[in-house]
Amino acid sequence: MSEAPLLSVRAVDAGYGHVDVLENVSLDVGDRKIVALVGRNGAGKSTLLRTISGLIRPRRGQIAFAGANLAGARPDAIVGAGLLHVAEGRRLFRRQTVDDNLELGRYGLRLTQAEHARRIERIHALFPILREKRGLHAGSLSGGQQQMLAIAQAMMRAPKLLMLDEPSLGLAPVLVDQVLDAIASLRAEGVAILLVEQMVERALEIADDAYVLQNGRIIASGPAREIAAGDALRAAYMGEHGAAARA
Amino acid sequence: MDLDTLAHGLVAGSLYALVAVSFNILYRPSNVFNFAQGELVMVGAMTFASAMSVAGMPWIVAFAATLALVGMICLVEERIAVAPILKRAQTGTAWVITTLAVSLIISNLVGRIWGPDPILVKPPEPLSMDSLNVAGVRISSYEVALVICTVALVAMVERAYQTLQGKAVMAVAEDREAALMRGIDPGRLGRWSFFIGGAFAGMTGVVAAPILYASTSLGPDLLLKGFAAAAVGSIGNNRGALIAGYIIGLTEAFGAALLSPGYQEAVIFLVVLGVLLLRPEGLFGRPSARTV
Repeated sequence: MSEAPLLSVRAVDAGYGHVDVLENVSLDVGDRKIVALVGRNGAGKSTLLRTISGLIRPRRGQIAFAGANLAGARPDAIVGAGLLHVAEGRRLFRRQTVDDNLELGRYGLRLTQAEHARRIERIHALFPILREKRGLHAGSLSGGQQQMLAIAQAMMRAPKLLMLDEPSLGLAPVLVDQVLDAIASLRAEGVAILLVEQMVERALEIADDAYVLQNGRIIASGPAREIAAGDALRAAYMGEHGAAARA
Repeated sequence: MDLDTLAHGLVAGSLYALVAVSFNILYRPSNVFNFAQGELVMVGAMTFASAMSVAGMPWIVAFAATLALVGMICLVEERIAVAPILKRAQTGTAWVITTLAVSLIISNLVGRIWGPDPILVKPPEPLSMDSLNVAGVRISSYEVALVICTVALVAMVERAYQTLQGKAVMAVAEDREAALMRGIDPGRLGRWSFFIGGAFAGMTGVVAAPILYASTSLGPDLLLKGFAAAAVGSIGNNRGALIAGYIIGLTEAFGAALLSPGYQEAVIFLVVLGVLLLRPEGLFGRPSARTV
């Protein structure tokens, strides 16, 4: 861990309007790593992802990605640098077709026809259902299919880092497996992943490192296996009292 | 039934449809309704008339110059009257007032430059405003061309939304933040849409001039009926705008012919009111309350 990590968040404060959410948050995602970010609802996980992707300006702190400073950069510049955010609820363009959604995934990217076709091909190999449904509106897909489309849309850009916010939310167990498998296979292709996931145990199984967020602060970090076995996780999910009792 | 009335209705309806489409082009990525659109049509007509009759430019040069100028005016409007409001709050609605203010400013300035006298504009060769007798209907070759061109233009605009940039505009219209997360810059698409929507309004002024005469009083009437066409056809829907433009044009023509010209406005807005009461989202919109 001596070379600079792919993504490095340092001492970031952020929030909405007058409400402070994140306080002094630091986090690293190494090249080709899966990093899990866990914590209760309202801990600030989505806010952290939104700050990294430029939807919220950090009040303080640095965000470095692939050697460039991204704190305060515009979202389209951050996407252009290869850092993609698949939001909670998937946020597809529901009134456009599956193929149109994939095409929008490469917006602003100069690709040859052949390269475009190659990426579509790869996506269809990973998610065959997206070939079958290519002409349908994204809004007509099931939740699992929509999640696959959202990941596939991000893959069109061949990102360096993918941030996934609750990819398994609302999915049937068999689909959860499929989505988590897809995430693991993305890492095998060299994509680093920052994963926010309510199925904490499953997330920690596939992750290399993990961070525990509580009330906007990182209360524990380390290898995923150690976090899974440690007290901080239980404290985070039991709330303030659990943490206070430990301290 | 009087076929001449039908022809009148189609010609007027074409102009309303064009104004409605120019509204939609701006509205799609910004959710802003530009109340200066009627005056932009008027500036287009006046600029074109002057370029032709005073400066003596060839038709095509005057046409291009008018589109560029009106597009630029609309872009400036976006920069000073719309962007600052949306920057503060994406859902802000103060643009209702600021675009209306721009409308009044343009109307005033143009009144000072050109004065109230209408200018006669001749259609481009070989078209003319002389009435032809086509199967018992009196209509000029220019009016026939206008109706055909309107349908072709709306089809072209719809084609443009099939390109990647067009799809990106629709993406911004559906979910601006989701578009941001895909690397789409809504501000840039908004500026382009204002330029193109302005140029489209200018073009509407050019094609309207031989029929309505170029006059500084064109604006409010076209604003109102173009707005009505956009609303009846469902805001943002160009095919709807085309059909609604004809509905309004024909209602106006037949209302004037069957009742009295004095009632034509009342008849139009009774129809508009009736449609919007029954279907608030317009004739061709999806019900907004649809859920999964």
